[in-house]
Amino acid sequence: MTMLVVPILLPWMLAAVFALLDGRKSWIGWLSVVGLAVSFASVVALTFAVVQDGPVELVAGGWPEGVGISLRADALGVTFAALSMGVVLVSLAYEVIRGVRSRTFPALVLFLATGLSGLFLTGDIFNFYVFFEISMTAAYALTSYRERDYQIRAAFIFAIINLLGSVVFLISVAALYHVTGSLDMQIVAERIEDVAPNSIITIAVAVFVAFSLKLGLFSFHFWLPAVYMGSHAPVAAILSGALANIGSYGLLRFGAGILPKELALGVIPIFILGAASIIYGAVQAISRHATVEVLAYSAIGQAGYILIALAIGGTVGYGAAVVYAVVNSLNKALLFLAAGTRGPLVGAAFAIGAFSVVGVPPAAGFLGKLALFKASLTMESLPASIALVALIFIGGALSFLYVFELYGRVFLKPNETDKKNSPLAARVLVLAVGVLVLAVGVWPEPLLVLANTAGDLLSNGGI
Amino acid sequence: MILATSIVIALVFGSGAYLILQRDLFRVVIGIVLISNAANLFIIAAGLSSGVPPIKPIPNGATVSDPLVQAMALTAIVISFSVAVLLLSLVYRLYNSHRTIDLKDISEMELREAEALERDKPEEEKKRETEPT
Repeated sequence: MTMLVVPILLPWMLAAVFALLDGRKSWIGWLSVVGLAVSFASVVALTFAVVQDGPVELVAGGWPEGVGISLRADALGVTFAALSMGVVLVSLAYEVIRGVRSRTFPALVLFLATGLSGLFLTGDIFNFYVFFEISMTAAYALTSYRERDYQIRAAFIFAIINLLGSVVFLISVAALYHVTGSLDMQIVAERIEDVAPNSIITIAVAVFVAFSLKLGLFSFHFWLPAVYMGSHAPVAAILSGALANIGSYGLLRFGAGILPKELALGVIPIFILGAASIIYGAVQAISRHATVEVLAYSAIGQAGYILIALAIGGTVGYGAAVVYAVVNSLNKALLFLAAGTRGPLVGAAFAIGAFSVVGVPPAAGFLGKLALFKASLTMESLPASIALVALIFIGGALSFLYVFELYGRVFLKPNETDKKNSPLAARVLVLAVGVLVLAVGVWPEPLLVLANTAGDLLSNGGI
Repeated sequence: MILATSIVIALVFGSGAYLILQRDLFRVVIGIVLISNAANLFIIAAGLSSGVPPIKPIPNGATVSDPLVQAMALTAIVISFSVAVLLLSLVYRLYNSHRTIDLKDISEMELREAEALERDKPEEEKKRETEPT
């Protein structure tokens, strides 16, 4: 029980207190890191509990079930919660080591973490929206960190586009309530079977649009490069490694969990969008020069793979989507942090991230690609399988091109001597993330078990 | 009643969408506020039912109007209000540094600034500029 409450309440309270204090003082920064670490540990403990004994549930405020807002942790939720908390924790620690330059930074990061853990661990669709807004609003403010003009403008674009997405989502939440009479995910998923198809399809499309916008899929991606371009390395790592998870989680939870029939109906357009995303992201990434821009377009491409796995469906497909989302978040956090750091050790960390994006063993990226290959082989029609395998292969080859081009540009440059190295602790932290990416690739069982449990749950009518 | 509500929501949403497409940042913010309010109206419309207020004691046999949508709308209003404040502060910050809130002028100004910086900068600095700080 406490394991479920701590990751939401602890960062929340700390955030509320630290918002009033000067976050540039290092003790506040370190206290926030400790608070987040405790929440992260709690989520990890929760993960063990969920894997062993199944979902953990709690109705907030001691209300009877069906009346109060329920918090629910299942395999899918805890995986994403642990992943996002981990990425946020590392990014915050990184910035605290390098010196926080804005008084609100630690508090905003804590608010963001609150929102994230809340939305991954809730069983109520409106509560999901509220936590989603908490984390998004913190993210809008974080984008303008350091208050350069272009950062403010990036924050403005980010806020306007994503607010539109949130409104679309809010409307679909209200519509779901209207057609099912409940806000509890499980009850909604049950009652939705009896609802007239035309209204449900409209709702499903709205949900899809809302989450695709967060994830930055092709045709909803236009805001993403501008925002990442403007943000500071740890902020970009948070946006890409933690916040984008809302999109993949939302598509899995609402698409595969609550609206599986509608998802099955939309398989063809989802495949097309996914394929377009992969190719477009990779080609654009190759043609760009600025590091952050390459990584931003790469994020658009990688989102396509998650969509493809979602469209394949079934235990294997959903499992692959989870594995890919986890691996992709770790990669992006690693690459963004490494690209913003200078000095020895960082090149190695970046190289690990680059290998992982391409999918070379033993980096974690191999796991994601392998899961996708396996999933595409479960397709019923042979041509579709072949086309998918080819697509994943081409995407991988293109990503090889852009990450190593980038590696060459950033790390294999002569006369680096005049540049100041980043603090050793920051470099060690980045390398530690790199080692983690390797470790996940070398010892994949825990991740695969989680992904399998989540995929199983989703494909068997659970939510 | 359903038709009337839908038309009102569509009108509010449409006006908001029109304003978002403007170059004036203040209008963009107002557009977002209008669109959020269209969503709030939609929430209320999603559970519109007439009845006695849902406050105990409820008279026997009386139908209660749905309290949940009201709670949701209230929450959504608070959220959209706070986000509007955040957006306005961003606009104010842009106005402070550019003395204009027209997106076209701001981009032109930023372009000129970037060019000026490029000209004065030594080679090494230029490269650094393309990397995250």
